[in-house]
Amino acid sequence: MDFGTVDLTPEQEAFQREVRAVLGEIMTEEVHEHERRTGDGFNEGVHLALGSRGWLFPAWPVEDGGAGLDRVCQRILALEIARHQVPTITMGTTNLVWAAVELSCDPELTAELKPEVAAGRVRFCLGYSDPEGGSDIAGATLRAVRDGDEWVLNGSKLWTTGAHNCQYTFLLTRTDPEAPKHKGLTMFLVPLDAPGVEIQAIRTYGGERTNAVYYTDVHVADRYRMGEVNGGWATLQGPLSAEHGAGRPDDGLSDIAMFMGTREFERAIDAAARWAKRTSRPDGTLVADDPAFLDRLGRLAVSTEASWVTPAAMGRTKSSLSFIAGIAELMDMVGPEAVLAHGAEGAIEGGEIDFAHRFAQGTATYGGTTEVFKGMIAQHVLGLPRLNLPGSKQWVR
Amino acid sequence: MERFELRLQDFSLDDDQQAVREGFGDFFTKEVPSSRVRDAEPLGFDADLWQRLVAMGATSMALPEAAGGDDATLVDLVLVAEELGKVVAPVPLVSHVVASRLLARAGGAAELLTAAAGGERIVTLALQPVVGSNRQLVPDAAVSRDVLAWSADGLALHTLAEPAAHVPNQGSTPLAWFDPAAGERTVLASGPEAEALFRAAVAEWKLLTAAALVGLADSALNLGVEFAKSRRTLGVSIGSLQGVAFPLADVVTEIAGARNLTYKAAWYASHEPGARPDLPLAAFVQAAHAATESAWVSAHTQGGLGFTVEADISLFFLRAKGWSVLGGDPGADRRQVAAALLASV
Ligand SMILES: Cc1cc2nc3c(=O)[nH]c(=O)nc-3n(C[C@H](O)[C@H](O)[C@H](O)COP(=O)(O)OP(=O)(O)OC[C@H]3O[C@@H](n4cnc5c(N)ncnc54)[C@H](O)[C@@H]3O)c2cc1C
Repeated sequence: MDFGTVDLTPEQEAFQREVRAVLGEIMTEEVHEHERRTGDGFNEGVHLALGSRGWLFPAWPVEDGGAGLDRVCQRILALEIARHQVPTITMGTTNLVWAAVELSCDPELTAELKPEVAAGRVRFCLGYSDPEGGSDIAGATLRAVRDGDEWVLNGSKLWTTGAHNCQYTFLLTRTDPEAPKHKGLTMFLVPLDAPGVEIQAIRTYGGERTNAVYYTDVHVADRYRMGEVNGGWATLQGPLSAEHGAGRPDDGLSDIAMFMGTREFERAIDAAARWAKRTSRPDGTLVADDPAFLDRLGRLAVSTEASWVTPAAMGRTKSSLSFIAGIAELMDMVGPEAVLAHGAEGAIEGGEIDFAHRFAQGTATYGGTTEVFKGMIAQHVLGLPRLNLPGSKQWVR
Repeated sequence: MERFELRLQDFSLDDDQQAVREGFGDFFTKEVPSSRVRDAEPLGFDADLWQRLVAMGATSMALPEAAGGDDATLVDLVLVAEELGKVVAPVPLVSHVVASRLLARAGGAAELLTAAAGGERIVTLALQPVVGSNRQLVPDAAVSRDVLAWSADGLALHTLAEPAAHVPNQGSTPLAWFDPAAGERTVLASGPEAEALFRAAVAEWKLLTAAALVGLADSALNLGVEFAKSRRTLGVSIGSLQGVAFPLADVVTEIAGARNLTYKAAWYASHEPGARPDLPLAAFVQAAHAATESAWVSAHTQGGLGFTVEADISLFFLRAKGWSVLGGDPGADRRQVAAALLASV
C-alpha cells in the first residue's frame, strides 16, 4: 500500500518541466475555443504536436515513433494532459484500436500504419454501435458480404465519434446472419474516404459532436479485414476489455477506477467552492459559512473521493452516477448563476458548472451504459446468474 | 487542491498486512458464529471472546513499544476492524484501541496503559466534547470504568468505581450514559494540544468504525447475494432479475469504494499525518452509507424472511445503524470535509 509522492530522477523532473512547458504553449485559448465550438474531442494541431514528440504512444520506442517513456514519465504525461484539458477522445480511440491492429491486421498494413499513427497523421474511431441499439453490441446488423477479394458493406452506424477526423473506423459487421449471434461477426479497418461512406454530424447537449455514418455499397479490400471471418467477437475483445479498464499495470501508476467525468465534476465543485467563498446571501452572510451548503458540498466531495478509489468497472458506475446526481445538486446549491454559459456576463469560471451539468449526462451512456456495467458487476463481481433472454445467444432482430 | 499531483495509488497489501488480515479473519470466522453474537445480546460483550482477542495481540499491537505494543499502524488496525465487522463481533475493540492510543499519547499512567494493553482494563472515549454537566452516550462505557473525555478545560481521564449502567439499544452494544461529574477526574493535557489529541482520536474512532462497517456491509451483502442465487420466481433465479441484481451491484460498488477509502485514509494518517485530515471523515461518511444501504438491500432481497429475527441479516441490519450512529450525524463530518475543500481551493 502506498499513496506517496514519487521521487523523480533529474531526468524525470526535466521531463515534467518539458511537458508543462510544451502543453502550456500548445494549449492556447484558441484550442479551448475550438473545442467549445466543435465538441470534437480532437484538435489536429495539438494532436500532431504531441505526435511529433512521440507522446501519442509514449511507451513505444523512439525508433517506432514513440518516446520510450518509463512508467513514471507516462504518468507524468497523462496527468499533465488532464491538467491542461487536452482534447483526447480521438487519441483514446486510436490507442484502443491500435492494440487490435497489431494483433489482427495484415502485417504489411500494420507496418504501413504504425509510423503514421505514431505521428498523428492516421487516426481511428470506433464503429461498434448500431442505430438499432448499442448495448447489445454483439447484435450488430451492418452487413458485410464477400465479393472475390473484396467485401461490400451496407448499413449504418450511429455514434461513431471522431469519424470526421479519422482515416479509418474499426468497424463491427455481420457476415453470417444464420450463425449464433457472436459467431457471425467480422471486424474491419475501413478507410473512411472509401466511396459510399457518408458522415453526418450528431450533436449532444453535453457539447460533444459525434456522427452517424452510412455505408452504401462500400467496397473494402480483404486486407482490411481484422482477424478471422466470423471471428470478430474475438478481435473485439482486446479493445473492448481495455476500454473497460482491463490490463492496466498494477504498479500504483495507473488509475484504479475506470472513472467517467470525475475530473469535470471536480472542476465544477472547485468552481462552486471558490464562488461560495466570495458570494454573500441577501442577509449578508457568506455562502461558505452556511452549514446547509457545507453539508451538501461535503456530500459531493465524499462522492468524488469514493469515485477515485472504487475499482475498475464499479468505478465506472460510481463515478458517472454520482456525477449526474451531484452536479444537479450543485446547480441547486449555486442557483441561477450556475446556468450561465461560457461568455455570459457573470458566468462562474467560464461556465464550468453549466458545462459540467450538461456534460455529465452522457457519461452514463457511452463506453457501455451504467446498466450494462451493473449487469457485469452482478455477474462477475457478485456471481449472480445471468438472465437468459431470447437474444442472449441468437441474433434476434 | 492540487488535483494532478503525481502520487501512487497502490492499494495492495504487503505480506505482513496480508498476514494480519488472514490471521484475524480466520480467528473471527472460527470464533464468532452468529449464535455467539446472539448469545452476547443485549449487552453486546463476550468476555471470553475478549480474552481470546487480547491473546491474539489485538489490544496491544498498535500501541507504542514503550507502552507494551508492537507499533502496528492504523492500516493494520483497519484490517483487523474490517474482519471484526464481518462477524459483528461483540467486543469493544475499536473504542478500546483508540482510547488506549490516546492515553499513550497523552501520557496516561503506565499502570493503566499496561492494564489496557493486556485488555484487563477496558478504556473508552467520549466522542462529543463535554459541555458543562451535559451527559452523553458513550460507546462501550457499560464495560469500561475508564473514560477519556475532552472539555474546554482539557483532556481528562474519568475513572469510575464501576462501569455505568448499560442502556439497551438497537445495535446491542455496551452503550452507557456518561456523566462528566462521575468518578475521579485526572487532567492529562490542556490547551490546543489537548484538543488536537482529542480530535485526532475521534477521527481514528471514525476510521476504525468505518472499517468495521465495511466488514459488516460485506457480510450483509453476501447474505443477500446467496439468497438471490437460490431463491426462484417464475421459473428463474431472482438474482437474474435486474430489479434484484442491480441494487446488489450498487451495494458492492459502494462497499468497494468505502473499503479503499478506509485504506487510503489509514495510510495518510500513518505516513503523512495532517496532510488529509478530511479522509477519515470521508471514509466514515461513505462506510456508514454503504452499511445502511447494504443492510436494507440485503434484508429486502430476502423478502419477508429478511424481516425476521431468525434471519442472520437481522443482526447486521440492527448493527449497521446501531454502530454507525454512535459517531453522531455524518452531516457534521460532511461539513468538515467541505471546510477542508474550501480551505484548499
Ligand atoms: C456522445 C456519445 C459518443 C459515443 N461514441 C461512440 C463511439 O465512438 N463508438 C461507438 O461505437 N459508440 C459510441 N457511442 C454509443 C454508445 O456506446 C451507446 O449509446 C450505448 O452503448 C448505448 O446504446 P444505445 O444508445 O443504442 O441505447 P440502447 O442500447 O438502446 O439502450 C437504451 C436504454 O436501455 C438500457 N438497456 C439496454 N440494454 C439493456 C440491458 N440488457 N439491461 C438493462 N438495460 C439495458 C440502456 O442502459 C439504455 O438506458 C456513443 C454515444 C454517445 C452518446
